Amino acid sequence: MSTMFADTLLIVFISVCTALLAEGITWVLVYRTDKYKRLKAEVEKQSKKLEKKKETITESAGRQQKKKIERQEEKLKNNNRDLSMVRMKSMFAIGFCFTALMGMFNSIFDGRVVAKLPFTPLSYIQGLSHRNLLGDDTTDCSFIFLYILCTMSIRQNIQKILGLAPSRAATKQAN
Amino acid sequence: MSGGRRKEEPSQPQLANGALKVSVWSKVLRSDAAWEDKDEFLDVIYWFRQIIAVVLGVIWGVLPLRGFLGIAGFCLINAGVLYVYFSNYLQIDEEEYGGTWELTKEGFMTSFALFMVSVTENATAGCVISQSSQFFRGSPLIVTLCDLPTVFPRLLRLEGLS
Repeated sequence: MSTMFADTLLIVFISVCTALLAEGITWVLVYRTDKYKRLKAEVEKQSKKLEKKKETITESAGRQQKKKIERQEEKLKNNNRDLSMVRMKSMFAIGFCFTALMGMFNSIFDGRVVAKLPFTPLSYIQGLSHRNLLGDDTTDCSFIFLYILCTMSIRQNIQKILGLAPSRAATKQAN
Repeated sequence: MSGGRRKEEPSQPQLANGALKVSVWSKVLRSDAAWEDKDEFLDVIYWFRQIIAVVLGVIWGVLPLRGFLGIAGFCLINAGVLYVYFSNYLQIDEEEYGGTWELTKEGFMTSFALFMVSVTENATAGCVISQSSQFFRGSPLIVTLCDLPTVFPRLLRLEGLS
């Protein structure tokens, strides 16, 4: 039982390390390049400009104004697409590293109950939370479920702390 | 005071995209603070949610508060506390930020995931402590308070990963 708590802490630590590794790889391959910096600055500038324009536009705005906004949106979409293409390099590298790492961790923690959940998960989540575990106690937590929860919470916070998260305006316009 | 109108203040410096300088936190508890930069205010809401998630995770895990009641309780408290903060205390004009829903959504899913991690950690610690306790086999809270000095070293003993 005492190893369970140690496993829980270890998985949180692994999650922090893998999040830092992912950001590190992305920084080396993407963030420090001039092309990325230029594109990102351009996208943020255009997003903020477009957002301000959309706030001030009224129903009775002229056709020319609306066409101008459409042109700006198109330009922003193209820049966003270019930004995604630049990020693709790091995504492949991260995907490759993480596939290897996850294979290793899955074999280390295979069949181990790493935590006790304070609730019984829904049936379609139990396939993940109780993966490869013996017994019928559905509050037993497997490595992969806890790792996913940790990654969901820790990765975005690390990106925000390091100042690497995309701006809200850019995210909004990209969606 | 009309909604959203505040006296002018020099804008506070902010690190890029989400990190906050110490000076921003000095504005957080002042109900008369001016929030010139919308992103800065949204970042404060975001980090407040993360702090609430960790704190509630510790409390829920130690009590323990189990089941979906605990999860629902977290959602209500998280949304409710921040709503009271920005609506009643700061008296922010929600429409400037896209409405109450946008402010409620800000950082909610990340805080939920963080809450789940925090409560799982503490619930696991509670289980381990209550199993190892020589004195109580009842509430992990009581066990935690009485036995921590003797149990904690055993708690962290690593017996290998295999």
